[in-house]
Amino acid sequence: MYRGREGQWAFFLHRISGVALALYLLLHVFDISLVMFGPDGPFNAFLFFYHQWPFRVGLVLIIAAVTYHALNGLRIILMDFTGWGVKYQRAMWYTVLALVTAIGIPVLFKIVPEILKGGA
Amino acid sequence: MASKTARPRTYSQARQTFSTSAELGWWVFMRISGLFLVFLVGAHVFINNILVDAGTIDYQYAAQRLAQPGVKVFDSFLLGFALLHGVNGLRYSIEDYFKRPGTRFWLKTILFVVAAGIFVVGVMTLWAFSFEEMGDAIRNLTPPQ
Repeated sequence: MYRGREGQWAFFLHRISGVALALYLLLHVFDISLVMFGPDGPFNAFLFFYHQWPFRVGLVLIIAAVTYHALNGLRIILMDFTGWGVKYQRAMWYTVLALVTAIGIPVLFKIVPEILKGGA
Repeated sequence: MASKTARPRTYSQARQTFSTSAELGWWVFMRISGLFLVFLVGAHVFINNILVDAGTIDYQYAAQRLAQPGVKVFDSFLLGFALLHGVNGLRYSIEDYFKRPGTRFWLKTILFVVAAGIFVVGVMTLWAFSFEEMGDAIRNLTPPQ
């Protein structure tokens, strides 16, 4: 199993969130491109399929991945381009986790009731 | 899981690590595009998941957004930066976890072909079709935001 210290966990989470986001991006652009077929095309059928709750939970995970990947990316930039970044990388990683939690809780309060309500 | 090769941690280390200036260029690009994407993706996610209920998004919502010139320009930057950043990240992952040259070649070929297709489709969605009619109809129905 993975028994690294914080830096390795930071890298591992950055890698899996990045791969997930890149694959989601390809699917997402394809989905939205169906709008080209007009109001009677397949756009609504695809989107309403994704409004089912397992996909909406997946979308919450995508938002979490975006938040972590963005904040940890800023940590990487600070590590690479400042003289002090590497020294404080562990503290910055815990700051990233704290910020993801701080942003995530209100987002969950907003979106979970929408999912429970059932959407459109 | 972690790659055996040492990862550069500063710009001067990066300059010594990469054999080609192209790889150094991608290393720098990932950081610069990443900085832009924090704001581009952040605004995109906020508008479409927090300001609205993503579970209610339908054709009219998408067509109304894509009819706006500001959205077209914003989403073009989003599409370009996100695809280049994402596809290069997937390329790094393929090179880290697949060591056989044949496997690498085919995975990267498939990745680049799919990504090029998605880029064309994305640009077409943003610029090739006018959603003005639908956009005007929606704006006349709903009060300005």
